[in-house]
Amino acid sequence: MEIDVKHIAKLAKLDIPEAELGKMEKELSSIVAMVEKLPELTSKESLLDPQNTMQLRPDEVKPSFPREEMLKNVPETAAGCLMVPKVVE
Amino acid sequence: MKKLYEHSATELAAMLRAKEVSAVEITKATLGRMEEVESKVDAFLTVTAEQALQQAQQVDETIAAGKPLAPLAGIPVAIKDNICTKGVRSTCASRMLENFVPHYNATVMEKLAAQGAVLPGKLNMDEFAMGGSCENSYFKPTKNPWDTTRVPGGSSGGSAASVASCEVPLALGSDTGGSIRCPASFCGIVGLKPTYGAVSRYGLVAFASSLDQIGPFGRTVDDVALLYRAICGRDPKDATSREAALGEIEAKVKGLRLGVPKEYFGDGISAEVKTAVYGAIETLKGLGADVVEISLPSTDYALAAYYIISSAEASSNLARYDGVKYGFSGRRDGTLNDLYLSTRSEGFGAEVKRRIMLGTHVLSSGYYDAYYKRAKLLQNVIAKEFTDAFASCDLIVTPVNPTTAFKLGEKVSDPVQMYATDICTVTVNIAGLPGLSLPCGMGEGGLPIGMQLIGPKFSEARLLSVAKSYETAVGGFAVKEM
Amino acid sequence: MNNNFETVIGLEVHAELNTKTKIFCSCENRFGAEVNSLCCPVCMGYPGTLPVLNQQVVESAVKMGHALNCTINGVTKQDRKNYFYPDLPKAYQISQFDVPLCENGYLDILVGDETKRIGVTRIHIEEDAGKLIHDDSFDGTLCDYNRCGVPLIEIVSEPDLRSAEEAKAYLETITTILLYLGISDAKMQEGSVRCDVNVSVRPHGATEFGTRCEMKNVNSFGAVYRAILYEAERQMEVIAAGGTIRQETRRWDDAKNKSILMRSKEDAQDYRYFPDPDLLTFIVSDEKISALKASLPELPTEKTLRYVKDYNMQKVDAQLLSVSKARADFFDSAVELGGCEPKTVANWLLGDIARILNDRRIELSDTALTPQHLVEMIQMIDKGTISNTAAKTVLEEMMATDKAPQQIVEEKGLAQINDSSALVAIVEKVLADNPKAVEDYKSGKTNVAGFLVGQCMKASRGQGNPATLRDMVLAAIEKL
Ligand SMILES: [Mg+2]
Ligand SMILES: [Zn+2]
Repeated sequence: MEIDVKHIAKLAKLDIPEAELGKMEKELSSIVAMVEKLPELTSKESLLDPQNTMQLRPDEVKPSFPREEMLKNVPETAAGCLMVPKVVE
Repeated sequence: MKKLYEHSATELAAMLRAKEVSAVEITKATLGRMEEVESKVDAFLTVTAEQALQQAQQVDETIAAGKPLAPLAGIPVAIKDNICTKGVRSTCASRMLENFVPHYNATVMEKLAAQGAVLPGKLNMDEFAMGGSCENSYFKPTKNPWDTTRVPGGSSGGSAASVASCEVPLALGSDTGGSIRCPASFCGIVGLKPTYGAVSRYGLVAFASSLDQIGPFGRTVDDVALLYRAICGRDPKDATSREAALGEIEAKVKGLRLGVPKEYFGDGISAEVKTAVYGAIETLKGLGADVVEISLPSTDYALAAYYIISSAEASSNLARYDGVKYGFSGRRDGTLNDLYLSTRSEGFGAEVKRRIMLGTHVLSSGYYDAYYKRAKLLQNVIAKEFTDAFASCDLIVTPVNPTTAFKLGEKVSDPVQMYATDICTVTVNIAGLPGLSLPCGMGEGGLPIGMQLIGPKFSEARLLSVAKSYETAVGGFAVKEM
Repeated sequence: MNNNFETVIGLEVHAELNTKTKIFCSCENRFGAEVNSLCCPVCMGYPGTLPVLNQQVVESAVKMGHALNCTINGVTKQDRKNYFYPDLPKAYQISQFDVPLCENGYLDILVGDETKRIGVTRIHIEEDAGKLIHDDSFDGTLCDYNRCGVPLIEIVSEPDLRSAEEAKAYLETITTILLYLGISDAKMQEGSVRCDVNVSVRPHGATEFGTRCEMKNVNSFGAVYRAILYEAERQMEVIAAGGTIRQETRRWDDAKNKSILMRSKEDAQDYRYFPDPDLLTFIVSDEKISALKASLPELPTEKTLRYVKDYNMQKVDAQLLSVSKARADFFDSAVELGGCEPKTVANWLLGDIARILNDRRIELSDTALTPQHLVEMIQMIDKGTISNTAAKTVLEEMMATDKAPQQIVEEKGLAQINDSSALVAIVEKVLADNPKAVEDYKSGKTNVAGFLVGQCMKASRGQGNPATLRDMVLAAIEKL
């Protein structure tokens, strides 16, 4: 079992220092090894559960939250917006 | 004479109604006890003394005005720090949310507020509820009140320790793979993981959405019932929640068939735990229960299925912590990707990152079928085994933890060994069932041992009534001198 | 354009639904509000919050599914599509992956006089992302989350389109249907309909598809047309130069009229789809599915074909009528009132009325005109009460006020003068004023008669009956 730790870290937006890659790979491998013991179960079916369904919500407006409140926890704001480092499209 | 803080919530509620004590006196007793022992247990991350006294004052005004009291009025209930409390920081014991103050309440908080319950503070936990020892907190480890060199269990370690040390009569925790039952067992108190959907998850910071449930801790079965009754039921804000209610609990065991699954008493379980749980089964037999041996053969696979499903969901649930909207924010002088990487790498602890990595891996292209889908299919198999088992028994009795509480630092270096401590509890989450942890004896060094009662979906009343019979028969919680 | 190649096009159309609230929270779904004023903890992805699916979103999507002849999956679910971007507060979009609400449908489109059937692979429901504001006066990119959680349907076509014209016709028909169903404002200029275009080329007669490129950000009918022409040409040039097409995602820059590479296949995102554990399987009952089908209005293509068949209209006219729901509804009500030729109604709607609306850049609904009044006016023309020329004045007035044509004619004295005795003076004066024209007529240039009749009409302020005037003019010249 080889795990491409660098690739996964890139997907997960985590910076795993070069020195820790090996350790992380070992740890993940030992957890994944537990999985290898699982019985082979396959199905072409989608993961639907018609026995256990949810109710939908009526389309009724409720007031939104005041903007000042919504932005209180935001690390950096400008002009009533959240701000992030410049994104080039 | 019993100290005020030693009383159960049920007793305090009665004393309040009999005007033997005021709500402010109860809250002061709680805050006083916290002052006395908190330095030893480290259960709290935030103390809200002022707010608690105000809430208590309001209850006293209600009493003075002769108005009716809700069952939890004036009772202090401490809250695990992954449950959002409006205006009170909710950190998930993570650097990521160190300064996060929600401007909304979890539904359980709305329900507690409506009853007039008092919030004395927020409780320590493993970061984002990932862990079984409470050592994965960014802030500090919580200690086991029975032996402060040992862990209280996790992830709701602060909840269990605060109740066991009599800082508070009641606490809320959350349980994704055993996070209520494990610490309840290590700390010698009662903890209930309700049926999936019985309690709204709205405002519970998600770890693994399909497994997470909020549940109560107390020193007595009645107390746990009292708190569960207050928080259960369908919530329009949680599409996975269901109608649920709890009536009065009657101690009743006679004629009940107890299933004992052999897979839960294997080599991994220590002798003293087995002895204590078998002893409890004998006691229940003596009270009139029938015992049947049952088999749950897929138990062996449950742990792997659990780690796949919970990590997969966690990897997605925790992707929102990116330094843009709330919480810790990394370097902003570089690119957007720099912000993402620095925020997440510095904001999350090692265990959280490990699970995010695992979850990302099992969902990634080419692995979904082999890991995630297979685990979900296995989940159906495990659930069906339980359904079949409940054809021949009314309740299942198992250990909660393989051992009593271990030493702080003992298992932190080996994640797989740490994960193995969840072996008896994860199946219950996988199958969406209710599970109750109940003290059933003491092991070496005077450390509590718990047993687990598992029932069919929405059989909380049955679990609690059997637990109450047992509790009545053996005598209740004994306060530990600290 | 290289004629040895065929262009193959598939469209992914995202349409915002006009439900009252967002898809997973109760915030108002409205365009153009102040930034971040229509947000709550749920749509901003705050910790602990949970999505609850809006019933109306499902119903609107099922309607669209019926309109595009899809199979409706009554048992379905929502999945998470995971990726990091600042417009996506949860870092995943709640969408549908392997069980879309609707699938395997088709849409008949009219291209010129031909009907063409385009396969519809699927329609699924999902949430919109927020809006990023790039403005040089700030040292960062700004995020407005008002649009987060606005419900979308994504309509994916089969690669059945073969030209920019077809793609444009398909997109126009889709937006018309959205308006017919009343489920979307379908305004491309406001971004409520957006389009990703997949283009490949292959030699004529080839059975395999060429490698396709996806173009994002193609946000008007015209842009779709231009983007396809550009991209097909680009690909044919690459092939002609001996190169091969690489699968890639490109961004269409309409201002610069070119597509720019965004990412190649190697950088393809791994979205790690999985069922959203916060949202369980949901069921749309067979009864509900049937009821929604029964509630569908007649759709534009059906309407067009009916107009051709029942009213003997030209297909192009019929299509022009039905492409606008407002116009078609107006037409249908007028025809239902009866008492005039449907074709005449159509001529007015597509002629003078369309011209006036177009000139003033307004919609039919912005005017006071009613089907009842239009029919009455046509009847007045048919009876000879007013002339066509006078009718134009009446029409202007009917569009401006809610007065009946009868009243307008009376007030303005526009009734047609059929009585020749009242016209004699006019004819005599016109002939006297235009001796040159009379001369010309007499010398055989008989087409000046039209000019003279026109002068008479003008002098009668449009009230003269042109046929009568013509007879009178000719008779008077004879007598001279
Ligand atoms: Mg989409
Ligand atoms: Zn919202």
